[in-house]
This record gives sequence, C-alpha cells and structure tokens, in this order.
Amino acid sequence: MLGTNLYSGEKKSIIYVLGLYLSSTILLIATFFTSYYYYEREQFVHDEKEILKKYTLELEEKLSVLNESSDERLLYPRFDNFKSAIYDIDKHLIFSTIENIDIKNFKQNFFTKDANSYLISSLTPYYLGAAYIVIQKKSKDVDILNNLIYIAIITVIITVITSFFLVNIVLRPLRENIKLLDSFIKDTTHELNTPITAILTNIETIDSSSCDEKTLRKLDRIKIASASISNLYQDLVYLLLNHKTSLQNIDLNLSQILIERIEYFTYMANMKKIGFIMNIKSDVHFTADRKNMERLIDNILSNAIKYSNKSTVINIVLKDSLLSIEDEGKGMSKEELDKVFTRYLRFDKTQGGFGIGYSIIKSIIDEHNMKIDIESKKNRGTKVTLTW
Amino acid sequence: MVKILAILVLFSTIISASEFEKNCLTCHGGDFKFHIIMNKYTLKYSSEKRIKKAIFEYLKEPSIEKTILPFEYIKRFGLKEKSTLDDKTLRDMVDIYYDKFNLQSKLY
Repeated sequence: MLGTNLYSGEKKSIIYVLGLYLSSTILLIATFFTSYYYYEREQFVHDEKEILKKYTLELEEKLSVLNESSDERLLYPRFDNFKSAIYDIDKHLIFSTIENIDIKNFKQNFFTKDANSYLISSLTPYYLGAAYIVIQKKSKDVDILNNLIYIAIITVIITVITSFFLVNIVLRPLRENIKLLDSFIKDTTHELNTPITAILTNIETIDSSSCDEKTLRKLDRIKIASASISNLYQDLVYLLLNHKTSLQNIDLNLSQILIERIEYFTYMANMKKIGFIMNIKSDVHFTADRKNMERLIDNILSNAIKYSNKSTVINIVLKDSLLSIEDEGKGMSKEELDKVFTRYLRFDKTQGGFGIGYSIIKSIIDEHNMKIDIESKKNRGTKVTLTW
Repeated sequence: MVKILAILVLFSTIISASEFEKNCLTCHGGDFKFHIIMNKYTLKYSSEKRIKKAIFEYLKEPSIEKTILPFEYIKRFGLKEKSTLDDKTLRDMVDIYYDKFNLQSKLY
C-alpha cells in the first residue's frame, strides 16, 4: 500500500478531475459535432432545394407551353433526372410520373423519404389546372451521421489518451512527495526496532520487588511509553509489510485475544483513570490472521483511550459476530467522520501519532470481510462497531 | 343486365349530346373556341369543382367581375345575356361542356 501507489483519497480526486475533464471535453465535442451535423444537414437541404427549384421551373415552362396547345391529346412532360406530379387547387391529383405518390401535407415544402428528395411548390396561373407541383429526385448521397460517428470515436480516444498523459504529468510531483514521506517513515521504522526491543526486554528483566514505590511508578510510566512506541512501531511495520507478508488465517479465540489486549492497555488506561466495562462472551471464534486481529483491536482501543476524557469508562462488548468499543471522549463531527479513513490525517494535533490508526483498521477489516460502523458525537464520544 | 346498362348509358349520352347541341351550339356553333374558354377557366380556377361553379355562376348572372374574357373583348361585344335555362339543365350543360373540353382528361 505504501511505495509509489496513491491512496484512495488521491485516487478519488484523480477520478473526479479526470471525470470532469473528460465529461467537459466530451460535452464540448458533442456540442461541436451536433452543430456541425445540423450545419451539414442545413447545407444538404439548401443544395437539394436549389436543384429541385430549378427542376420546378423547367416543368413550369413546359406546362405553360402545353396549356396553350389545342391538340386533342396532351403529352405530360417527362424528364430523365426527376419525376413530377401536379395537383389542382383542391389537392386532387391531376397527373403524376411518380409511383405511389401520396402527399398529405402540402404546407411542408421540402422533405426526404426513402432516399428521395421532394419539393412542393405553388403555381400561378394554374397551367393545366395545376396549383401545386411536386418534384421528386434521388437524394444526394451524403452520410453525415456515419462520418461524424467515426470522427467522434477517434476524437474521444485521443482525448482519453491525452488526459491520462496529463494526469501523469500533474501527479508526478505529488507521487514523488508521497514516495519521500513513505521512505522516510520506512527508514525511521527500521531505526526504531533495536532501541524499542532493548527498552522492552530490559524493563521486563527489572526486578520490581527491589524497587521503591516512586521508582515503580516511574517504571510504570516507562512501560506505558515504550508500549505506545511499540504499538506505533507495530502499526508502521503493518503498513510497510502488510502486503508483502502472507496472512496466516487460523481459528482464533477472539474473546481471549480481546482480554489480552485490554490487559496490555490497562496501564495506559489507569494513567487517565479510565475504567473498562466489559461484556465479553467467552469463546467467540473467528478465522483470521492473529497479528492482524491484535493490530485491529489495539488500534481501536488505543484510539478510545487516547481520545477519552479523564475518569470515564470504555464499554467493550463482544458477541458472536459483533465487537463494539465505545468511549466517552472528544467524539468527531460529521465532516471528520467522512474523512476518518484518510491516512496521515489527524483531527487533534495535541495527541501523538501519525494519523494511520483508522487507515490500518480499514485495511484489516477489508482484508477479513468485516464491516465497520462508527457512530460519533462531538464531545459525547465515539462508538466503533465491527460486525462479520 | 350489362347489356341493358350499356344501352342506357349510350342512350343518355346521345340525349345529353343532343341537349348540348340544342342549348349551347345553336348560338356558339361554328368557329366558337370552346377549348380557349376552357383554357382560361382552367388557368384561373384550377379544379373541376371551381371551374364548373364559376361557369355556372357566370351564365346565371353574367357580369364584368365574373367574366374571364379580356376587358377589350367585353367592351367590343358586350356581356352575354343571362341564361334562360333552369338550374338543373344549366348544371347538366356545364357538366357536358367540362367533360368534352377539360384539359386534364387530355393528358397522357
């Protein structure tokens, strides 16, 4: 999870920015193409109309000549490049060279149907009684939409590729900073290992019976302090090695582990006069990695103690598929709750830590398919409930 | 049955034709340009219904406003006299005139 990878918060921002950029670009392209499509269509209609008008004039001329004829039979004018029909003022068909002609709306002067373009024009005077002339010709073959779709697809692909390059360029400094921070923490962690081990083993070997009360209290404080450092160390190790070590999922007695972890934190809790109210069902079993479970419980517990007010209680409930830890501490506002899983984010700078606790919690519960529910009220306390 | 019908149609056509001769051709015989009049009506009124209506109304009550003839012509020969035929006969005569001279049926 560390290394050069980006965290979920940053990924979300990238997706937002990318989405915004892509959608605005696509919207722009769509607007441009739509306008272009309508412009081309308008152009097509204009060109077709011009040709059809010319044909109408040709026919009109022939009809006027025919109208003057005194012949017994009148040959209706026929043309190679278009067909025509004439209607009287009451819209009855007089004559047509167009097959299956069926005009209903004489107001619509231009339309296309089945790859043919039609123009209806009014005529005065009514040569041969014709008040309307309909001209039909094969439509000019232009596939505006198809061409546009190809161009649109290519443009969108280019935009997507460019946006990825852009994101990469923009993110490079950010990534380098994260890399720097991660490697700093990594180096520090390595350096912490030896002194912590030395302190802890030495404290364990001190014979407490030979110490007076004052020294014992000091020893307790050293124990708590080194336990805190040890915890932090474990957290950092988890973050650094989490995905590099394989999990050993075994059947765990969760009740037992929980009691052990509570005992481990008793020193720390006692310092703030915090009591534990425990409602722990015995022999609750869960298959998981032991170290991960300890990390999970440690993080929730240490958070609860860290942010609890003095002389309060922490409620711990363990049931078959539920673990809840409730404190009477500072609590969090809604905005803080929304960002609680963001790594390196700390709401209360007066407390120690790197702001990685909830990030670890989230990572572990995700790994073990658990669900987390955090209820919190400012100055009232926080209740963390895990279910599985 | 078909034969009887055919005879009836033929008979009524002959009667109509002779009626037309009696009612129209007695005056407008000889070189009267029936087709020119039809051309002018067609140019102005377009459809069968409107042409027939215009001819009927003119014959019933001839006036300068209703005539399709040029003003010079009217000035020289004057307006036609009102038709003395009853409405039905006049309509029948207009129908025969239209059937004989209309331009649309000449088209092929």
